[in-house]
Amino acid sequence: MLTYIIRRLLLAIPTLLFISLAIFLLLDLAPGDPLSQMPLTIPPEVKEKIRIALGLGEPMWVRYLLWLRQFFINEPLHIIANMTGWDIASGAQRVISWQTRSPVADIIAQRLPQTLWVVGMSYLVGVLIALPIGIVSAYRQYSLFDQVGTFVSMVGFSVPTFFTGVLMIVVFSVQLGWFPSIYDTTLRVHDWGSFMQQVRQMVMPVAVLSLYNAAQISRFMRASMLDNLNQDYVRTARAKGLTENVVVLVHVLRNSLIPVVTVIALGVPTIFGGAIITEQVFKVNGLGQLLITAIYANDLPMVQTLAFIFAILIVLFNLVADVVYGVLDPRIRYD
Amino acid sequence: MTTDALDRPAAAVAAAARSATLVVVEDLALHFPVYQGLLRRQVGSVRAVDGLTFDIRRGETLGLVGESGCGKSTTGRALLRLYKPTGGRIAFDGRDIATLEGEALRAMRPRMQMIFQDPQASLNPRMTVGAIVEEPLIEHGVLRQAGRRERVRELLDAVGLNPEYVNRYPHEFSGGQRQRIGIARALALDPDFIVCDEPIAALDVSIQAQVVNLLQDLQRKLGLTYLFISHDLSMVRYIATRVAVMYLGRMMELAEVHDLFRAPKHPYTRALLSAVPVPDPKVEATRQRILLKGDIPSPVNPPSGCRFRTRCPWAAEVCAKEEPEWRTLADGRKVACHFAE
Amino acid sequence: MKAFRSLLIGTVAAAAFATNAYAARGTDGEVKIIYWQAPSILTPYLSGGTKDVEASSLILEPLMRYDEKGNLVPFLTQEIPTVANGGVSQDLKTITYKLKPDIKWSDGSAFTADDVVFTWQYCADPAGGCAQLAKFEGVENVEAVDAHTVKITFKEPKPNPYLPFNGAQSPIIQKAQFEKCRGANASSCTDANFGPIGTGPFRVTSFRPNDVVTLEANPNYRDPDKPAFATVTLKGGGDAAAAGRAVLETGEFDYAWNLQLAPDVLSKMAAAGKGKPIAAFGSLVERLEMNMTDPDPALGEERSTAKHPHPILSDLNVRKALSMAIDRQLLVDVGYGQAGRPTCNLVPAPELYASPNTDCIKQDVEGAKKLLDEAGWKPGPDGVRVKDGRRFHLLYQTSVNAVRQDFQALIKQWWADVGVEAELKTVDASVFFGGDAGSPDTFQKFYADVEMYANNFDGTDPEAYLAEHTCSKAPRPETQWQGENINRFCNADYDKLVAELGKTADLEKRGEIGRKLNEMLTKESYVVVPLVDRGRVSAHSNTLGGVVLNTWDSELWNTADWFRVK
Repeated sequence: MLTYIIRRLLLAIPTLLFISLAIFLLLDLAPGDPLSQMPLTIPPEVKEKIRIALGLGEPMWVRYLLWLRQFFINEPLHIIANMTGWDIASGAQRVISWQTRSPVADIIAQRLPQTLWVVGMSYLVGVLIALPIGIVSAYRQYSLFDQVGTFVSMVGFSVPTFFTGVLMIVVFSVQLGWFPSIYDTTLRVHDWGSFMQQVRQMVMPVAVLSLYNAAQISRFMRASMLDNLNQDYVRTARAKGLTENVVVLVHVLRNSLIPVVTVIALGVPTIFGGAIITEQVFKVNGLGQLLITAIYANDLPMVQTLAFIFAILIVLFNLVADVVYGVLDPRIRYD
Repeated sequence: MTTDALDRPAAAVAAAARSATLVVVEDLALHFPVYQGLLRRQVGSVRAVDGLTFDIRRGETLGLVGESGCGKSTTGRALLRLYKPTGGRIAFDGRDIATLEGEALRAMRPRMQMIFQDPQASLNPRMTVGAIVEEPLIEHGVLRQAGRRERVRELLDAVGLNPEYVNRYPHEFSGGQRQRIGIARALALDPDFIVCDEPIAALDVSIQAQVVNLLQDLQRKLGLTYLFISHDLSMVRYIATRVAVMYLGRMMELAEVHDLFRAPKHPYTRALLSAVPVPDPKVEATRQRILLKGDIPSPVNPPSGCRFRTRCPWAAEVCAKEEPEWRTLADGRKVACHFAE
Repeated sequence: MKAFRSLLIGTVAAAAFATNAYAARGTDGEVKIIYWQAPSILTPYLSGGTKDVEASSLILEPLMRYDEKGNLVPFLTQEIPTVANGGVSQDLKTITYKLKPDIKWSDGSAFTADDVVFTWQYCADPAGGCAQLAKFEGVENVEAVDAHTVKITFKEPKPNPYLPFNGAQSPIIQKAQFEKCRGANASSCTDANFGPIGTGPFRVTSFRPNDVVTLEANPNYRDPDKPAFATVTLKGGGDAAAAGRAVLETGEFDYAWNLQLAPDVLSKMAAAGKGKPIAAFGSLVERLEMNMTDPDPALGEERSTAKHPHPILSDLNVRKALSMAIDRQLLVDVGYGQAGRPTCNLVPAPELYASPNTDCIKQDVEGAKKLLDEAGWKPGPDGVRVKDGRRFHLLYQTSVNAVRQDFQALIKQWWADVGVEAELKTVDASVFFGGDAGSPDTFQKFYADVEMYANNFDGTDPEAYLAEHTCSKAPRPETQWQGENINRFCNADYDKLVAELGKTADLEKRGEIGRKLNEMLTKESYVVVPLVDRGRVSAHSNTLGGVVLNTWDSELWNTADWFRVK
């Protein structure tokens, strides 16, 4: 297993390098200009000077190599320097955002908490809701519960979050006034009152996103349970005289969870990707909103770095999913 | 049943020969509802098993044969109460289990077990062999941990598997070995009665004999009673004491194995047997195959009167009107045909 | 000082002013502002974005600001320098500001002429990529005569010498803080860029780029009673509808910037009664630009260049007819509601420069048809006019934007009514305005017959804006397609008049020339066909007082005077 993991990690290096080049080329060749957001009142000569100040005067391959160096050498050096206090990173140019003229990594680090809180929490809530729903739906296939579950899943699946989000705001913020429509990223939880405030502002974005996540995962869970419920070994388990709880929750569930856990693991990178639409709707301003504003502003270093971090996470969690599969299913062996 | 199944010592099984009959089935019926349409209304039912009456004697092997889809497996599963019968009575060792539910039914489980057709699918892929065999012991609270381990090793040994294999997973074994695991698992709780649902159908021919011999050995040693479901007539002839023939959810004929193979009474039995090759070149040369015309009718909407009449070479007017009685002939054989004698 | 006071008295409701006059600094708690575009950086010198300029205007101040009418108001200076009071030299080459003596930076240090000089040096550094370089164009030198006197010398006479250091785009930054951030180091000064020390009413407590800025009252602000608010939260992100909702419907925020919303949406929100939308007009005009050159692809490199006049649009009467066919009031109603009004002027404000021309407001379909008939364009068999075997077919492009697409559809219909066939094209805004010389779809290349967009000018003086239409400013291959004379209008009289404006200091005279230039482009030539004077709509809650919407400076220009209505 260890050799397998090491082999996969080594293989990931050329893959990721290729991905980084592909992202870079795509972004660079795409039409657009980092200065297009600036008012027309700024004269073209000034814009040209700004372009040069941003490093756009260099040829493409120089900029790519520079980015590689900044991302793979300078940024880690800064991280080490920050942690140890050694002076090894001075003068090493970090990846700088064109929009804010500040290190990309710092902004990402600043954005990560609210994204993990909101999107991560909604993923967790989604999974926690989805599993029991999927189990019961499959066990009582075609029952009223299953029918309602199917309907809700379809709604969660097909109704876009920008609709459910705005709907929730109109109902719960505008009409009822229960929850704030705008997320306060500066809120610090230090006592019961601020904790409740945090909970209140998280309710709507988490609900919207977890509805979507739960819809997806509960369908997977249901299908996987149905696959397993009709297997002979389930009949065997019943013939053994096991209680129904043991049959369903031990034999069927544990086998059904294998593909579902894989799907859940593969979905983890999307947490870090943030939820672009939901973050915009509720003004959570996490990584998703960061990415979309960077795209609008043609902030290439930011988009490139974010997209590449997502690529790393996806490659990593693919490996995690494979390893988890191997651990859960004794039939799979990586040697 | 006065003794509790949970703490009944294994040796007492043989001693408790209160009655020569272990299982009595009366008018057993099992219908599966069929739903259709937008609102999933019940539009009919599949009459998989429709009025079976027979018994299984203590210590015998009752062969149950018939074409695919005739309800053999359903019958086996209904006997073990893996399905809830729609009607009829199943008396197991004098106790009606057809309507038992929940804990009372679970308490009966140790006494009746099943061996499945597909040894791969019937074993939980995520459990080791040891865990598979041990689980019923845990669940029914038999023995302590050390005792259970020992029992698992004994069982594996008894079915001819290396006891060192307890920590392996089912996929690491061959088909025959897996079926042995299935048998060891079925034996774990010292059952009286085992339903063998086509236990050798999925195995190579060379392995089939080994498994059948194992089943026979175990029967002799442990005094087991088998319901041996198979479509392989020659294997049934080899292992069974008596043979029952099913067609479209009903029983056509039931007789001692020699009687049945020598002189089948029911036209369907005759047709079935005519398809079996005989290991005697002279007889084989003269063997005449009786080819049945048509297909098996749908069990949702079976023919009136005798179910076999649509394909029967003897069919007459009466067959469409009256359902033939399940009668006992002079020599004790049972048959459901207006004309058989 | 006099001007400052008259401003306050003139614009703030008397009652509101009275309640505010007794308020002390920081007694009104928190004010929450929402910008649906989040600020990325807090100095306007590294970003030209409106959101960044306006956010930094809470902290940084220029020497003088423009008020809501476009008049200069001294903030850090004692008075407005003019030729009359000797602040501007007779030859129009120098201007001297006398700084208020007791201004302090928010860190407590003294604000001096050195800071003003440094601000110029910072922006003028060629390696810095300063976004406001245009403000300092023509500046030869900035020197500190004494600690509180700054003298700016221009290379040439500047009839409008107020560009540097005035208005929200060129505020004064602190020398001590930014000294190490000049040139190529500008990007490494994250702390300074995210938390500049200013002289304004507030100072930064925390800044999350593209998300939220929190500020507190500047303890060293020059007026000891101001600002009334102790803290400011400026949240960014989302969309205009959400921002409007937060102020007008839920009341979570006090002020929402630039609510570009459909008129009916906005009025529905306002009906909730938590706040009110306010509108003000500046110089932003949505217009059609007529291409004076031939964009035919067959011309290759010489496409859309002065070498080939436009085959259809070179005729004045044709351009005029296209303008007459348009119902501008309907465009306003459909697209902007409260935030727009029909206009015939390229320079709709300030009053001094706005021509009284309203000829175009009334739609005249019959007149348009008659003009086209006279120009030789006769209706063809399918209703589209034909002349010399050429169909009256126009390619009409604009950027992707819901309102612009509505406008395109309406105008296409009106033109069809007079026998003109329009083919519509839309280009993503980042490409259209991107200025990429390699792209065929930029508004500068103008590979179309007609295009529509909006533009305005900075500050209150349209001189540079009007000068954009001189012959030499036409985008062409030799300039890498850069240049502001989008429609390639070229008229020697116009160029001469622009040069004259550049030498005129007298305001009345400047206004006269400006109006004439404006009319030469619009009602006399119809190369620019103005459609809608686009105002700004923002909204404030009923409990926020002192708001004066200003399109000539930052919307947050007078936050020091904002207060909580009790």
